[in-house]
Amino acid sequence: MNAAEQSFAAQLERARDGEPRFVAALRSSARDAFLAAKLPTIKDEDWRFTNLAPLAGQAFSPGPLARATAELPPAPRLVFANGRLDPAATDLGGLPAGVRVSSLAAALRERPGAVEPRLGGAIAASARQPFVALNSALFEDGALVEIDDGVECQPTLHLVFSSGADRGGERGATASHPRNLVVAGKGSSATVVEHYLGRGAYLVNAVTEISLGEGARLEHDRLQEDAPEAFHVGALHVAQAGASRFAGQSMALGARLARVEARALLAAEEASCDLHGLNVSSGAQVHDHFVHVDHASPRCTSREVFKGILGDTSRGVFAGRILVRPGALKTDAGQISSSLLLSDDAVVDTKPQLEILADDVKCSHGGSVGQLRPDQLFYLRSRGVPEALARALLTWAFAAEMVQRVGPEELRARVRRAVTARLPSGELLREVA
Amino acid sequence: MLSIQGLKAKVADKEILHGLDLEVGAGEVHAIMGPNGSGKSTLAGVLAGRDTYTVTGGRVLFQGGDLLELAPEKRAAQGIFLAFQYPVEIPGVTNMYFLRTALNAVRKARGEEPLDAMDFLALAKEKMNIVQMDPAFANRGVNEGFSGGEKKRNEILQMAVLEPKLAILDEIDSGLDIDALRVVAEGVNALRSKDRAMLVVTHYQRLLDYIRPDHVHVMAAGRIVTSGGPELALTLEEKGYGWLEKEPPPRVQPAEARP
Repeated sequence: MNAAEQSFAAQLERARDGEPRFVAALRSSARDAFLAAKLPTIKDEDWRFTNLAPLAGQAFSPGPLARATAELPPAPRLVFANGRLDPAATDLGGLPAGVRVSSLAAALRERPGAVEPRLGGAIAASARQPFVALNSALFEDGALVEIDDGVECQPTLHLVFSSGADRGGERGATASHPRNLVVAGKGSSATVVEHYLGRGAYLVNAVTEISLGEGARLEHDRLQEDAPEAFHVGALHVAQAGASRFAGQSMALGARLARVEARALLAAEEASCDLHGLNVSSGAQVHDHFVHVDHASPRCTSREVFKGILGDTSRGVFAGRILVRPGALKTDAGQISSSLLLSDDAVVDTKPQLEILADDVKCSHGGSVGQLRPDQLFYLRSRGVPEALARALLTWAFAAEMVQRVGPEELRARVRRAVTARLPSGELLREVA
Repeated sequence: MLSIQGLKAKVADKEILHGLDLEVGAGEVHAIMGPNGSGKSTLAGVLAGRDTYTVTGGRVLFQGGDLLELAPEKRAAQGIFLAFQYPVEIPGVTNMYFLRTALNAVRKARGEEPLDAMDFLALAKEKMNIVQMDPAFANRGVNEGFSGGEKKRNEILQMAVLEPKLAILDEIDSGLDIDALRVVAEGVNALRSKDRAMLVVTHYQRLLDYIRPDHVHVMAAGRIVTSGGPELALTLEEKGYGWLEKEPPPRVQPAEARP
């Protein structure tokens, strides 16, 4: 076993008392799964382009109890520090009736019956994947969001995950495994944001399970701004009932290595999902998006648009699988990935995979890898725009489409600031932001 | 204002301009005509600083200074404006943001205060009237999904906002129907002034019915082969460019004019 596996194995030995029987069972089978599989390597097909060696070489310990130090988004917000609730930073004001938001750990103590039928449900198909298993075995807390049938949750719900510590260097790297559960009732609607940020060296290994009832609508935005020394691994699993609509955006900006795996199961007719993403990568960052859409029912729609902006020696990975199961007639699935390379040393790997087992379906995929267009640069410069600003503007323009997809205006502005701040000469774009 | 002396330029390894001379004074409108491949658009691109062209000889003075050593944005700041034959689409940057960024960059280079959003909006509204542009286009991406006519109007709008000293109009008539041509030409005419020179590059005499030039030059094989007043355009319309080769005007030496 490598250093990371050894440190996790030691934590897996720790007994946890007082948890409901179904949680103990989940943890026990997850522990076995992790110990059997261990961390993936580039020999695993799904990890071919993302080398975890820098992570595998470090030992991780649970983070200390901490307070979130970041600038916090407006309420309602649920704030976690090193994977545990930070009650002082949490503010659930403004939640409408019919929306319950709480710490998952508290819910497991106080009303386990509400959690039992849901926990591990949306993620069942991936339960044995190493990082998902590690999360199931080691999670301390996370958000439980329940939206009753027909309820429209107007305010944006923010989930903040702050990690690491100021004196991370002395303690060694820490790891946390937030576990979130979102249950959206029939015909409900909501916007949920996951913010990731922190300081120092750490691993955050988050799992979010979402189930959408019939006709439910959910926007899910993931804003990953983890520290430059951090590792980010995230899984998002969405199970959708008929005519439900999911719109997900993953903004991968921070961390030295980040992998987000998004899976949607379109389980009943006329469900639709958008799984979109943007990575802005520089230095030696690695940003990996792995997307899997499972068309299990007729007349469902899925769209994936992934964009990457890569500078320096950074690396982007996009793998998109679309599975159209037998009988999933009139499936409409589309996938596009495009990358903008700002340096000769940046690398992008894309891997579309279409597995179509039904007739009468519409499936497409496409992609491009390019650089800033000289004709656009010249056009801007011929109007008096200095070259650095022209480059920044065109780079922003490439990303803008993704940022525009963020629904709530206030959140969109925040995402816009976060993205422009990462672009070369981004400080010239203050007015755009 | 503009003095082009023996200008030679090439694209890749192909020399396109073979020693071109032209003098343009303030307030003058010069038409540059010529058949396809004669080097008209190359001349326009070289003056604006397009880097696909390499200047191999001669010089260009603008207001007494060496133009060719300047980056495109510096030329714009000095008052050079190129209306593109094929305006470029830039999705993701709104037209208004683009215009304000350009104007403020030029103002900054000239040592002027930037315009704030409110003042700029008022200015843009006024200028949009000149080209009869639908306000809905203001917040679309630059030229994104614009028709040919809308793109050309947008070029003239930019010119109206930036108020150049020398406007180079590169085939602004291409792809326009007669109504769009009229609107664009009226916009250009509204911007004529005694301080502003214009170089109107066109293949067809038609445009010159709307924008009356003071001087007409005919290019062939990378240089100006004959010059005259507006009547020269009419002769070309009547006889075609072939006439130049059959009955070369006296000041041209046939051996040099032939490609």
